Amino acid sequence: MTTASKRTEAAESGPAESEPESRSDPVDEYVSTLDAALRGPVGAKSRMVAEVRDGLTETVAALTHQGVPYQRAVRQAVEEFGSADDLADSCQRELTIAQAQHTARAVAFTAPFLIACWYLVQNAGDIHDSPVPRTAQLLAVHLASVAGGAVLFAAATLAATGTLARWLPTPHRLPLYVAWTGTTASVSMAVAALALATASVLAENWLLTGLACSLAAVSHAVIAGSARACRQCARMPSMDPAIL
Amino acid sequence: MRQDAVRGHLDGLLLAVLEPAPLHGYAIITAVQQRSGGVLELRTGTIYPALNRLERLGLLRSSWEAVGQRQRRCYELTDAGQRYLANERTAWQDFTTAIGSVLNPAASQPNGLAT
Repeated sequence: MTTASKRTEAAESGPAESEPESRSDPVDEYVSTLDAALRGPVGAKSRMVAEVRDGLTETVAALTHQGVPYQRAVRQAVEEFGSADDLADSCQRELTIAQAQHTARAVAFTAPFLIACWYLVQNAGDIHDSPVPRTAQLLAVHLASVAGGAVLFAAATLAATGTLARWLPTPHRLPLYVAWTGTTASVSMAVAALALATASVLAENWLLTGLACSLAAVSHAVIAGSARACRQCARMPSMDPAIL
Repeated sequence: MRQDAVRGHLDGLLLAVLEPAPLHGYAIITAVQQRSGGVLELRTGTIYPALNRLERLGLLRSSWEAVGQRQRRCYELTDAGQRYLANERTAWQDFTTAIGSVLNPAASQPNGLAT
Protein backbone atom coordinates (compact mmCIF):
# COMPACT_ATOMS: atom_id res chain seq x y z
CA MET A 1 0.00 0.00 0.00
CA THR A 2 1.33 3.43 -0.92
CA THR A 3 1.78 6.28 1.53
CA ALA A 4 -0.97 8.24 -0.18
CA SER A 5 -3.53 5.46 0.00
CA LYS A 6 -2.59 4.79 3.64
CA ARG A 7 -3.27 8.45 4.31
CA THR A 8 -6.65 8.27 2.62
CA GLU A 9 -7.61 5.14 4.52
CA ALA A 10 -6.57 6.70 7.80
CA ALA A 11 -8.56 9.82 7.07
CA GLU A 12 -11.68 7.81 6.29
CA SER A 13 -11.42 5.99 9.59
CA GLY A 14 -11.67 9.33 11.43
CA PRO A 15 -9.33 11.31 13.68
CA ALA A 16 -6.47 9.45 15.29
CA GLU A 17 -6.72 8.49 18.95
CA SER A 18 -3.85 10.76 19.84
CA GLU A 19 -5.87 13.80 18.76
CA PRO A 20 -6.28 16.05 21.78
CA GLU A 21 -9.61 17.70 22.44
CA SER A 22 -9.17 21.34 23.21
CA ARG A 23 -11.14 24.49 22.60
CA SER A 24 -8.42 26.15 20.53
CA ASP A 25 -7.91 23.40 18.01
CA PRO A 26 -5.43 24.65 15.37
CA VAL A 27 -7.60 23.31 12.55
CA ASP A 28 -10.58 25.23 13.97
CA GLU A 29 -8.45 28.35 14.26
CA TYR A 30 -7.24 28.00 10.67
CA VAL A 31 -10.78 27.48 9.37
CA SER A 32 -12.13 30.38 11.48
CA THR A 33 -9.45 32.69 10.08
CA LEU A 34 -10.31 31.59 6.56
CA ASP A 35 -14.03 31.98 7.21
CA ALA A 36 -13.54 35.50 8.57
CA ALA A 37 -11.40 36.50 5.60
CA LEU A 38 -13.88 35.40 2.92
CA ARG A 39 -16.89 37.28 1.54
CA GLY A 40 -19.56 35.80 -0.67
CA PRO A 41 -22.92 34.04 -0.83
CA VAL A 42 -23.57 32.21 2.45
CA GLY A 43 -24.15 28.80 0.85
CA ALA A 44 -21.14 28.90 -1.47
CA LYS A 45 -18.89 30.19 1.31
CA SER A 46 -19.95 27.61 3.86
CA ARG A 47 -19.49 24.79 1.29
CA MET A 48 -16.00 25.99 0.43
CA VAL A 49 -14.97 26.40 4.07
CA ALA A 50 -16.43 22.99 4.97
CA GLU A 51 -14.48 21.42 2.14
CA VAL A 52 -11.21 23.01 3.26
CA ARG A 53 -11.89 21.87 6.83
CA ASP A 54 -12.52 18.35 5.59
CA GLY A 55 -9.30 18.38 3.56
CA LEU A 56 -7.28 19.65 6.52
CA THR A 57 -8.85 17.07 8.84
CA GLU A 58 -8.02 14.28 6.40
CA THR A 59 -4.44 15.46 6.02
CA VAL A 60 -3.93 15.70 9.77
CA ALA A 61 -5.55 12.31 10.36
CA ALA A 62 -3.36 10.71 7.72
CA LEU A 63 -0.21 12.20 9.23
CA THR A 64 -1.09 11.20 12.78
CA HIS A 65 -1.86 7.70 11.51
CA GLN A 66 1.73 7.59 10.30
CA GLY A 67 2.89 8.40 13.83
CA VAL A 68 3.38 12.14 13.53
CA PRO A 69 2.38 13.91 16.77
CA TYR A 70 -0.88 15.83 16.44
CA GLN A 71 0.49 19.36 16.81
CA ARG A 72 3.26 18.66 14.31
CA ALA A 73 0.76 17.03 11.96
CA VAL A 74 -1.38 20.16 12.08
CA ARG A 75 1.62 22.39 11.39
CA GLN A 76 2.62 20.19 8.47
CA ALA A 77 -0.93 20.10 7.09
CA VAL A 78 -1.22 23.88 7.32
CA GLU A 79 2.14 24.22 5.60
CA GLU A 80 0.89 22.02 2.75
CA PHE A 81 -2.31 24.05 2.50
CA GLY A 82 -0.60 27.43 2.65
CA SER A 83 -1.49 30.16 5.11
CA ALA A 84 -5.17 30.99 5.64
CA ASP A 85 -4.61 34.43 4.11
CA ASP A 86 -2.99 33.00 0.98
CA LEU A 87 -5.74 30.44 0.65
CA ALA A 88 -8.38 33.15 1.13
CA ASP A 89 -7.00 35.01 -1.89
CA SER A 90 -7.46 31.99 -4.15
CA CYS A 91 -10.88 31.08 -2.69
CA GLN A 92 -12.14 34.65 -2.88
CA ARG A 93 -12.09 34.80 -6.69
CA GLU A 94 -14.61 31.98 -6.97
CA LEU A 95 -16.77 33.45 -4.22
CA THR A 96 -16.67 36.87 -5.89
CA ILE A 97 -17.83 35.30 -9.15
CA ALA A 98 -20.53 33.36 -7.26
CA GLN A 99 -21.71 36.65 -5.71
CA ALA A 100 -21.67 38.34 -9.13
CA GLN A 101 -23.82 35.50 -10.49
CA HIS A 102 -26.15 35.85 -7.50
CA THR A 103 -26.53 39.58 -8.13
CA ALA A 104 -26.97 39.04 -11.87
CA ARG A 105 -29.72 36.48 -11.19
CA ALA A 106 -31.43 38.88 -8.76
CA VAL A 107 -31.39 41.61 -11.40
CA ALA A 108 -32.49 39.22 -14.15
CA PHE A 109 -35.40 37.76 -12.21
CA THR A 110 -36.78 40.82 -10.45
CA ALA A 111 -36.48 43.53 -13.06
CA PRO A 112 -38.83 41.85 -15.58
CA PHE A 113 -41.52 41.89 -12.88
CA LEU A 114 -41.15 45.61 -12.59
CA ILE A 115 -41.32 46.10 -16.36
CA ALA A 116 -44.39 43.85 -16.66
CA CYS A 117 -46.12 45.64 -13.80
CA TRP A 118 -45.45 49.00 -15.30
CA TYR A 119 -46.87 47.81 -18.61
CA LEU A 120 -50.05 46.76 -16.79
CA VAL A 121 -50.33 50.07 -15.01
CA GLN A 122 -49.83 51.99 -18.21
CA ASN A 123 -52.57 50.09 -20.01
CA ALA A 124 -55.11 49.61 -17.25
CA GLY A 125 -55.76 52.87 -15.49
CA ASP A 126 -57.58 55.98 -16.61
CA ILE A 127 -55.05 58.37 -15.17
CA HIS A 128 -54.44 60.61 -18.15
CA ASP A 129 -56.55 63.45 -16.79
CA SER A 130 -54.19 64.17 -13.92
CA PRO A 131 -50.70 65.55 -14.76
CA VAL A 132 -49.07 64.17 -11.65
CA PRO A 133 -49.67 60.45 -12.33
CA ARG A 134 -48.56 60.98 -15.92
CA THR A 135 -45.27 62.47 -14.71
CA ALA A 136 -44.86 59.57 -12.35
CA GLN A 137 -45.69 57.24 -15.20
CA LEU A 138 -43.07 58.74 -17.50
CA LEU A 139 -40.43 58.66 -14.79
CA ALA A 140 -41.15 55.04 -14.01
CA VAL A 141 -41.02 54.13 -17.71
CA HIS A 142 -37.53 55.64 -17.98
CA LEU A 143 -36.41 53.89 -14.83
CA ALA A 144 -37.84 50.62 -16.08
CA SER A 145 -35.71 51.12 -19.22
CA VAL A 146 -32.65 51.35 -17.00
CA ALA A 147 -33.74 48.14 -15.29
CA GLY A 148 -34.20 46.54 -18.72
CA GLY A 149 -30.62 47.44 -19.65
CA ALA A 150 -29.46 45.99 -16.35
CA VAL A 151 -31.29 42.75 -17.14
CA LEU A 152 -29.48 42.43 -20.47
CA PHE A 153 -26.12 42.99 -18.78
CA ALA A 154 -27.05 40.47 -16.08
CA ALA A 155 -27.87 37.86 -18.72
CA ALA A 156 -24.53 38.51 -20.44
CA THR A 157 -22.76 38.13 -17.08
CA LEU A 158 -24.39 34.78 -16.39
CA ALA A 159 -23.30 33.56 -19.81
CA ALA A 160 -19.75 34.91 -19.42
CA THR A 161 -19.21 33.31 -16.02
CA GLY A 162 -20.85 30.01 -16.96
CA THR A 163 -19.98 27.58 -19.73
CA LEU A 164 -18.75 30.41 -21.97
CA ALA A 165 -15.84 30.85 -19.55
CA ARG A 166 -14.35 27.58 -20.87
CA TRP A 167 -13.28 29.46 -23.98
CA LEU A 168 -13.27 33.10 -22.92
CA PRO A 169 -11.49 34.29 -19.78
CA THR A 170 -13.77 36.07 -17.33
CA PRO A 171 -12.75 39.74 -17.08
CA HIS A 172 -11.28 40.40 -13.65
CA ARG A 173 -13.39 43.53 -13.13
CA LEU A 174 -16.66 41.95 -14.26
CA PRO A 175 -17.97 41.44 -10.67
CA LEU A 176 -17.40 45.15 -9.99
CA TYR A 177 -19.38 46.11 -13.11
CA VAL A 178 -22.15 43.71 -12.06
CA ALA A 179 -22.17 45.27 -8.58
CA TRP A 180 -22.62 48.77 -9.95
CA THR A 181 -25.18 47.62 -12.50
CA GLY A 182 -27.14 46.03 -9.66
CA THR A 183 -26.81 49.21 -7.63
CA THR A 184 -28.11 51.29 -10.55
CA ALA A 185 -31.04 48.91 -11.05
CA SER A 186 -31.87 48.94 -7.34
CA VAL A 187 -31.81 52.75 -7.17
CA SER A 188 -33.98 52.98 -10.27
CA MET A 189 -36.45 50.58 -8.70
CA ALA A 190 -36.55 52.54 -5.46
CA VAL A 191 -37.39 55.70 -7.41
CA ALA A 192 -39.88 53.77 -9.55
CA ALA A 193 -41.54 52.46 -6.39
CA LEU A 194 -41.85 56.03 -5.14
CA ALA A 195 -43.30 57.18 -8.45
CA LEU A 196 -45.76 54.30 -8.54
CA ALA A 197 -46.76 54.95 -4.93
CA THR A 198 -47.59 58.54 -5.88
CA ALA A 199 -49.53 57.32 -8.91
CA SER A 200 -51.44 54.78 -6.85
CA VAL A 201 -52.66 57.50 -4.52
CA LEU A 202 -53.86 59.70 -7.37
CA ALA A 203 -55.01 57.09 -9.85
CA GLU A 204 -58.43 55.49 -9.88
CA ASN A 205 -56.97 52.06 -10.46
CA TRP A 206 -54.97 52.21 -7.27
CA LEU A 207 -54.99 48.45 -6.63
CA LEU A 208 -52.99 47.59 -9.74
CA THR A 209 -50.67 50.55 -9.32
CA GLY A 210 -50.19 49.69 -5.69
CA LEU A 211 -49.31 46.13 -6.60
CA ALA A 212 -46.73 47.35 -9.10
CA CYS A 213 -45.34 49.68 -6.45
CA SER A 214 -45.00 46.82 -3.96
CA LEU A 215 -43.21 44.62 -6.47
CA ALA A 216 -40.84 47.44 -7.35
CA ALA A 217 -40.09 47.93 -3.66
CA VAL A 218 -39.43 44.21 -3.13
CA SER A 219 -37.22 44.12 -6.25
CA HIS A 220 -35.27 47.06 -4.89
CA ALA A 221 -34.74 45.34 -1.54
CA VAL A 222 -33.56 42.09 -3.15
CA ILE A 223 -31.18 43.69 -5.63
CA ALA A 224 -29.80 46.33 -3.24
CA GLY A 225 -28.64 43.73 -0.70
CA SER A 226 -27.04 41.54 -3.32
CA ALA A 227 -25.38 44.48 -5.09
CA ARG A 228 -23.90 45.71 -1.79
CA ALA A 229 -22.47 42.26 -1.09
CA CYS A 230 -21.09 42.13 -4.63
CA ARG A 231 -19.33 45.49 -4.18
CA GLN A 232 -17.72 44.17 -0.99
CA CYS A 233 -16.57 40.99 -2.74
CA ALA A 234 -15.20 42.89 -5.72
CA ARG A 235 -12.99 44.97 -3.41
CA MET A 236 -11.40 41.87 -1.85
CA PRO A 237 -7.97 40.73 -3.08
CA SER A 238 -8.23 37.57 -5.16
CA MET A 239 -6.43 35.44 -7.72
CA ASP A 240 -7.61 33.01 -10.35
CA PRO A 241 -6.96 29.37 -9.26
CA ALA A 242 -6.42 28.37 -12.90
CA ILE A 243 -3.12 30.27 -13.06
CA LEU A 244 -1.72 29.31 -9.68
CA MET B 1 9.15 19.72 -9.48
CA ARG B 2 8.32 23.24 -8.43
CA GLN B 3 4.87 24.80 -8.39
CA ASP B 4 5.63 27.10 -11.29
CA ALA B 5 6.05 24.03 -13.49
CA VAL B 6 2.41 23.19 -12.83
CA ARG B 7 1.25 26.70 -13.70
CA GLY B 8 -1.33 26.65 -16.46
CA HIS B 9 -1.79 22.87 -16.36
CA LEU B 10 -3.80 22.58 -13.18
CA ASP B 11 -7.14 22.10 -14.98
CA GLY B 12 -5.79 19.26 -17.11
CA LEU B 13 -4.14 17.54 -14.13
CA LEU B 14 -7.30 17.64 -12.03
CA LEU B 15 -9.50 16.42 -14.87
CA ALA B 16 -7.07 13.61 -15.71
CA VAL B 17 -7.02 12.13 -12.20
CA LEU B 18 -10.81 12.26 -12.10
CA GLU B 19 -11.17 10.41 -15.38
CA PRO B 20 -11.18 6.84 -13.96
CA ALA B 21 -13.54 7.44 -11.04
CA PRO B 22 -15.07 10.14 -8.83
CA LEU B 23 -12.77 11.35 -6.03
CA HIS B 24 -12.89 13.78 -3.11
CA GLY B 25 -10.46 16.67 -2.67
CA TYR B 26 -7.83 14.94 -0.59
CA ALA B 27 -7.86 11.83 -2.80
CA ILE B 28 -7.38 14.07 -5.86
CA ILE B 29 -4.27 15.57 -4.30
CA THR B 30 -2.80 12.20 -3.46
CA ALA B 31 -3.71 10.89 -6.93
CA VAL B 32 -1.74 13.72 -8.59
CA GLN B 33 1.23 13.01 -6.33
CA GLN B 34 1.04 9.28 -6.97
CA ARG B 35 0.70 9.57 -10.74
CA SER B 36 3.67 11.94 -10.91
CA GLY B 37 5.75 9.71 -8.63
CA GLY B 38 5.83 12.52 -6.09
CA VAL B 39 7.45 14.90 -8.58
CA LEU B 40 4.54 17.33 -8.87
CA GLU B 41 3.95 19.40 -5.77
CA LEU B 42 0.60 21.10 -5.56
CA ARG B 43 -0.18 23.56 -2.82
CA THR B 44 -3.01 21.59 -1.29
CA GLY B 45 -5.33 24.45 -0.43
CA THR B 46 -5.45 25.81 -3.97
CA ILE B 47 -7.04 22.61 -5.23
CA TYR B 48 -10.41 23.45 -3.68
CA PRO B 49 -11.08 26.77 -5.44
CA ALA B 50 -9.78 25.19 -8.66
CA LEU B 51 -12.29 22.34 -8.32
CA ASN B 52 -15.05 24.86 -7.65
CA ARG B 53 -14.07 26.74 -10.78
CA LEU B 54 -14.14 23.58 -12.92
CA GLU B 55 -17.58 22.78 -11.56
CA ARG B 56 -18.77 26.29 -12.44
CA LEU B 57 -17.55 25.75 -15.99
CA GLY B 58 -19.58 22.55 -16.19
CA LEU B 59 -16.50 20.33 -16.54
CA LEU B 60 -17.10 18.62 -13.17
CA ARG B 61 -20.12 17.85 -11.05
CA SER B 62 -20.04 17.29 -7.31
CA SER B 63 -22.10 15.52 -4.69
CA TRP B 64 -21.81 15.26 -0.90
CA GLU B 65 -21.37 11.90 0.75
CA ALA B 66 -21.40 11.05 4.43
CA VAL B 67 -18.20 9.62 5.92
CA GLY B 68 -18.83 8.88 9.56
CA GLN B 69 -20.17 12.11 10.98
CA ARG B 70 -18.57 14.24 8.31
CA GLN B 71 -19.81 15.28 4.88
CA ARG B 72 -17.36 14.94 2.03
CA ARG B 73 -17.64 16.47 -1.43
CA CYS B 74 -16.89 14.11 -4.33
CA TYR B 75 -16.19 15.27 -7.87
CA GLU B 76 -16.68 13.50 -11.18
CA LEU B 77 -16.11 14.39 -14.80
CA THR B 78 -19.03 15.52 -16.95
CA ASP B 79 -19.27 14.77 -20.67
CA ALA B 80 -18.01 18.28 -21.34
CA GLY B 81 -15.12 17.56 -18.96
CA GLN B 82 -14.22 14.43 -20.94
CA ARG B 83 -14.12 16.41 -24.17
CA TYR B 84 -12.11 19.20 -22.56
CA LEU B 85 -9.60 16.67 -21.24
CA ALA B 86 -9.24 15.08 -24.68
CA ASN B 87 -8.50 18.52 -26.16
CA GLU B 88 -6.00 19.25 -23.38
CA ARG B 89 -4.20 15.99 -24.13
CA THR B 90 -4.00 16.75 -27.84
CA ALA B 91 -2.76 20.27 -27.18
CA TRP B 92 -0.14 18.97 -24.72
CA GLN B 93 1.01 16.32 -27.23
CA ASP B 94 1.39 18.94 -29.96
CA PHE B 95 3.26 21.23 -27.58
CA THR B 96 5.74 18.60 -26.36
CA THR B 97 6.34 17.39 -29.93
CA ALA B 98 7.11 20.92 -31.07
CA ILE B 99 9.43 21.63 -28.13
CA GLY B 100 11.08 18.22 -28.57
CA SER B 101 11.74 18.97 -32.22
CA VAL B 102 13.56 22.14 -31.28
CA LEU B 103 15.49 20.78 -28.30
CA ASN B 104 16.43 17.48 -29.90
CA PRO B 105 16.21 17.84 -33.69
CA ALA B 106 18.10 14.59 -34.46
CA ALA B 107 15.53 12.46 -32.64
CA SER B 108 12.63 14.04 -34.50
CA GLN B 109 14.13 13.41 -38.01
CA PRO B 110 12.70 10.37 -39.86
CA ASN B 111 15.23 7.52 -40.36
CA GLY B 112 17.52 8.03 -43.34
CA LEU B 113 16.71 11.66 -43.83
CA ALA B 114 19.22 13.02 -41.34
CA THR B 115 22.22 14.60 -43.04
